[in-house]
Amino acid sequence: MVDYIMKFFGSLIIFYMFIVIASYCIMLTVALITMRKRYRLDPSEYDDAHIDAFYSKPISLLVPAYNEEIGVVDTVYSLLNLRYPQTEIIIINDGSTDNTLETVIKHFKMKPIEQIIKMDIPTKQVKQIYQSEIYPNCILVDKENGGKADALNVGINISQYPYFCSIDGDSILDEKSLLRVMKPIILSDGEVIAAGGNVRIANGAKMQRGSVYETNLPSNYLVVMQIIEYFRAFLMGRIALSRFNLVLIISGAFSVFSKKWVVEAGGYAANVIGEDMELVVKLHRLLKEKGEKKRIEFVPDPVCWTEAPQTLGVLRRQRRRWHQGLLESLWKHKRMTLNPKYGLIGFISFPYFWLIECLGPIIELGGYIYLIFAFFLGNIYYEIAITLLLLFVIYGVIFSIASIIFEAWTMNSHPSTRELLRMTALSFTEIFWYRPLTLIWRLEGIINFFLGKSDWGNMKRQGIAGKEEGA
Amino acid sequence: MMIELKISTLLWIIAVLLFMLLLFLLYIIIQHNKEGRFNRRRDAYVEAYTGDWYDFLIRDTDLSASVIPHNKAQVTAVERIFLSYLKNLQHPEIEKKIQDFANVYLKDFYIEDLKSRLWSIRMNALYRIADFKINSLMDNLESFEKRNISKEEYFQLFKIYSVLQPSKFLEKLDEVQITYSESEYRRLFILLSDNIFTQVFDNFYHYDKNIQFAIIDTAAVKRNMLFISKLKELLADDSLEIKIRALKGLYEIGIVDEIETYIPFVSSEVWEVRLMVAKIFRYAPLSYTYTYLEQLIQDENWWVRSQAAKTIIEDRHGVEMLQQFIVSADDQFAVELAQETIMRRQGGK
Repeated sequence: MVDYIMKFFGSLIIFYMFIVIASYCIMLTVALITMRKRYRLDPSEYDDAHIDAFYSKPISLLVPAYNEEIGVVDTVYSLLNLRYPQTEIIIINDGSTDNTLETVIKHFKMKPIEQIIKMDIPTKQVKQIYQSEIYPNCILVDKENGGKADALNVGINISQYPYFCSIDGDSILDEKSLLRVMKPIILSDGEVIAAGGNVRIANGAKMQRGSVYETNLPSNYLVVMQIIEYFRAFLMGRIALSRFNLVLIISGAFSVFSKKWVVEAGGYAANVIGEDMELVVKLHRLLKEKGEKKRIEFVPDPVCWTEAPQTLGVLRRQRRRWHQGLLESLWKHKRMTLNPKYGLIGFISFPYFWLIECLGPIIELGGYIYLIFAFFLGNIYYEIAITLLLLFVIYGVIFSIASIIFEAWTMNSHPSTRELLRMTALSFTEIFWYRPLTLIWRLEGIINFFLGKSDWGNMKRQGIAGKEEGA
Repeated sequence: MMIELKISTLLWIIAVLLFMLLLFLLYIIIQHNKEGRFNRRRDAYVEAYTGDWYDFLIRDTDLSASVIPHNKAQVTAVERIFLSYLKNLQHPEIEKKIQDFANVYLKDFYIEDLKSRLWSIRMNALYRIADFKINSLMDNLESFEKRNISKEEYFQLFKIYSVLQPSKFLEKLDEVQITYSESEYRRLFILLSDNIFTQVFDNFYHYDKNIQFAIIDTAAVKRNMLFISKLKELLADDSLEIKIRALKGLYEIGIVDEIETYIPFVSSEVWEVRLMVAKIFRYAPLSYTYTYLEQLIQDENWWVRSQAAKTIIEDRHGVEMLQQFIVSADDQFAVELAQETIMRRQGGK
């Protein structure tokens, strides 16, 4: 009996790993073909082409802030630094209990103004709107606490431009970020209704008044591991999915949406954890139901910098929350899975996210447990166990190294040789500690989902590393 | 047995993959070093000759033979210097000097680059040909065009023709097979001289929708009085989109010489049209437009109403007129809007 079960599970997990590896290989190939083309293209040319107001569309930048007194001023500076002809910055204070409101009012000389709000999306009460005396295009909204989604909806209602960009209170943008992320929207004449950019980790970056001017690989292994993970997610996921309009997640830390479509989709859903994914799925759904040929794109190069958790505890909460959010969105729209009405989204995206992204941790963790069991049960199962281990190596180590190398090659980013080697070396250790840990955390997310627990996972901000040197 | 085989196969696969990755890693490290050397050579050139170039371009001295670039790194350095002048100073004489120099000394490098297998290298060459207006390459571009080139490269060719050979540009625009987006056409049209652009506008109905829209938008940006009457003609078009865009264009030009043309649109069934009229009336005296704006401030559409209120308050007598309106009107919605608009105006002061 034990024999039968062990063999069955062993083969099941191995079979699963094959599927995963195969799909990653396909996505990596697509990504490389896409990236190869741009190799060595003069980037200044295409950034500059869009700088004129005439070519671009005005954007409202929404900064929801809940207890962000440490990071919010830097964020606003990085937004003021953006090279983009027409923007307005809307900071939404979501009933913070710290000094977020006072900090912003004081720093940007905010004065109360009267403004008529068009309630496109129902939201919690707005208390007061302020306008900066120094930067007239900078607006602060003080509202009752209602969560990030509600804050963003208020921002959408107040915004006066046709596109909006949601920015996390703790993320810092590159001065060309917005130009780059808007490029597909501008060039497609509105066929692209949402675009998300590539998010990078800011730990170890040196910045001055909200601009990153130097990046160094941080010394914290946990952070380096996350950097590698971001590369992987980017090369083996987003680019390939985006190519076929199959993206379900564009980062909440930096993405642009067409206001008209978001309003039609009902805005951000309150009371969900992953409101950004939820919105993208809703938009896809709306598009398919209306038979519209619009696209949601992931742009490879816009660089948004975000602070990665530096301790296991914070990382654990973050991952648990992400996974719970993922499951929540998939569950809410489960009807779309394999539903011919939703085309490839239903037949590729949903199965992919269910099987590989969402249920993956259960099966993979099963694999790890299997390895331990096999070790104790003696040599009958060692072939299966070794096969499994080797598949883990391909999956964990090889793909990680490949991502690091291709990232260094295609993105024209120039990590020093030492940094490149350090990351490569660290990849070999991934399957022994980082991978199992994240799997457990994600499993916790699944459990939390079924227990109906909500976990807002507030991250303790330390301000961006190296900021003080600039200030 | 089967599983054992699998294990050894897997081990092989892993070994091969790791080996390949290792090679790749080495390749990248070597590449990085090469690039480092390239950059150092480039920077050395910039360092050494920036002064000479300044003397030549700005102070009209003669150019010494030593600045002539002999390799790709030096060409890149020259490109940098030229681009910084072109982007920061708009001076026909400097442009001419750069063009002449590029026609003689850079041309051959770009001919080579155009033959490259790499799309990005060819693109970069096309960018530079357009930037430096290298007109001695027209024949090369002619044969380049006959090759199987991408949509983006074709677009760059378009751009080059529009600057260097407008007649050819017009010809190509007539027969273009690839569809570009509106914003791409706008990028082309904005570079055209008014004379050539007028020729494009004359052929308006000859083109696809994308081109038509781009023509309207460009006309608005060029802000030439000449285009006002042309845009007004388009108001009679059957297409709603063209009508709205023409109105928007007229609003952007910001000159209203008579209001009769716009009056029929005040009672249009389409709110976007009414909105545009409410905007356009900003450029006409309130005494002429008030009757219509009073109708628009009571519009069923929120955008139209609030735009009408904004337009009224922009005028010198706007506050007065709105106050009168508040007293006399029945529409409670509109009254509130008028009150809020006045409050905002006073709050903003």
